[in-house]
Amino acid sequence: MQFGIFTVGDVTPDPTTGRTPTERERIKAMVAIALKAEEVGLDVFATGEHHNVPFVPSSPTTMLGHIAARTENLILSTSTTLITTNDPVKIAEDYAMLQHLADGRVDLMMGRGNTGPVYPWFGQDIREGINLAIENYALLRRLWREDVVDWEGKFRTPLQGFTSTPRPMDDVPPFVWHGSIRSPEIAEQAAYYGDGFFHNNIFWPADHTKRMVEFYRKRFAHYGHGTPEQAIVGLGGQVFMRKNSQDAVREFRPYFDNAPVYGHGPSLEEFTEQTPLTVGSPQQVIEKTLSFREYAGDYQRQLFLMDHAGLPLKTVLEQLDMLGEEVVPVLRKEFAKGRPADVPDAPTHRSLLAAKAAHDADARAGKDAEDAKDADAKEKEATAV
Amino acid sequence: MNPRTNPRTNPRTNPRTNPRTSNRTNRRMKLVVVSAGLSVPSSTRLLADRLAAAVDRRTPADIQVVELRDLAVEIAHTFTNGFAGKALAAAQDAVAGADGLIVVTPVFSASYSGLFKSFFDVLDKDALVGKPVLIAATGGTARHSLVLEHALRPLFAYLRAVVVPTGVYAASEDWGAEGLPERIERAAGELASLATGLSAAGAHAPGGSGNDASDGFETDAPGGFEVVPFEDQLAKLSPSAV
Repeated sequence: MQFGIFTVGDVTPDPTTGRTPTERERIKAMVAIALKAEEVGLDVFATGEHHNVPFVPSSPTTMLGHIAARTENLILSTSTTLITTNDPVKIAEDYAMLQHLADGRVDLMMGRGNTGPVYPWFGQDIREGINLAIENYALLRRLWREDVVDWEGKFRTPLQGFTSTPRPMDDVPPFVWHGSIRSPEIAEQAAYYGDGFFHNNIFWPADHTKRMVEFYRKRFAHYGHGTPEQAIVGLGGQVFMRKNSQDAVREFRPYFDNAPVYGHGPSLEEFTEQTPLTVGSPQQVIEKTLSFREYAGDYQRQLFLMDHAGLPLKTVLEQLDMLGEEVVPVLRKEFAKGRPADVPDAPTHRSLLAAKAAHDADARAGKDAEDAKDADAKEKEATAV
Repeated sequence: MNPRTNPRTNPRTNPRTNPRTSNRTNRRMKLVVVSAGLSVPSSTRLLADRLAAAVDRRTPADIQVVELRDLAVEIAHTFTNGFAGKALAAAQDAVAGADGLIVVTPVFSASYSGLFKSFFDVLDKDALVGKPVLIAATGGTARHSLVLEHALRPLFAYLRAVVVPTGVYAASEDWGAEGLPERIERAAGELASLATGLSAAGAHAPGGSGNDASDGFETDAPGGFEVVPFEDQLAKLSPSAV
């Protein structure tokens, strides 16, 4: 199972000091957070993509390429890549490029984006959101899998004899997750292709997450990719920890009360009861996270949102130390218990390459057998004549 | 921008060069903006800020923004407790003391949002009497544009406010289309003129009509779980299907 962090990249004032970081500070902080993730033994760092203030990460491959050069093991991902308003041709090229630079440590999470004006700003119509996600992704898959593509669709100019460069590393396209909170159409899309499905449950009660994940698992099996239990599921979560849970609550409350996404609504206590948000001791975080399995089944990827609500970088880095040292090692051990052997891990470049080699070898063996049979038949024919 | 609507070049609407205006207003206009957007950031707030800036360009104003999201719980508590909390009471005082008001709501279920209505429900019924008000709304499609005329305008007429002739409706698509800036300028000119007692004649500019449907920040279909087989969805998009 993979554990990691995802960041939205929001520039939010620290409510305890009133200070708002500059864009440059926030961008550098995101990089520092990614480097820390590798240092403390996490598996994944994912950045959001946004094209409106107060968010900074408009250019994920620039940031991920930089992080790739400064890390060895971290898988670099997105949360999410806007499959609706980005040109699928540019996504194909950018992420293949990144894949080479990062030696295969790349996957993506597709999302539609939820900011209305971004669609017209990029020449699209929000009412076509689902259709854009379907058509653009179908084209993206072909660009990564076929050397020369002729294509015609509804939303983009046609392509004749187009080759997306560079080709994916080892001819193995990056693994793709599809992120959606409420749209069964996207779960259906993930299931159809046998791709991963990430339910960003951070503001949602467990029963909703359960319904979406169950739907995806059923359809994954329907399309013949394996049993429902073998589907590739990812979940979000957000935590704030201190050794002593009262200290965590006391320190985090002003952030919760004022954060753009949390503040002035339900209380911290109501919110932690109804959603994955956990504010307390590392042990409480462990217990809450382990409970996700009760409604989502054995899953493959757990991403935590750690740098939210205007928390200062120093605090976030302390949180990551605790996450890497005290929480994730226990989660790895506990999630492994009782996990059926036929539930796969999340695909990586290495596992996909091995699967491809096995597939190619099978195909070759099959072809050799065919050839032998043909030769046999020809011989018989010859002797009969 | 239409040069006629630019206050820097138009002496009739630029208070710095218009002796009538500058004599009249020794103090700056008190402009209060009520925004009922729920997301952060929200397109409702984006529209509110554009309108406020346009008014300020004509008549320099002290602008105070009231974000109803921040007051949602206090507003709810007011219904049950019968009295306004500290932050809500301060917002109500600001609205009552304003020279002009800009009110912006997302369209929910073919009308203003419940939160938007609730704020005015708990406001003193005489607080808006005779007060110039610019009405504006945002939504996901232009189909709800008349919400300004069938929902907001009657509400403020009931409260005996003076609603400016031009309401501004912004659908998602308007943020990438022509027409919205002109409507903003025209409405802002009308509000600035009313608030300072001038004719709005000089502020008129041609504008498009586009208007819209639900909260512009909502992109997910409501979670019905009926299965539309993926092949059908793909086939629907193939060029040969047209």
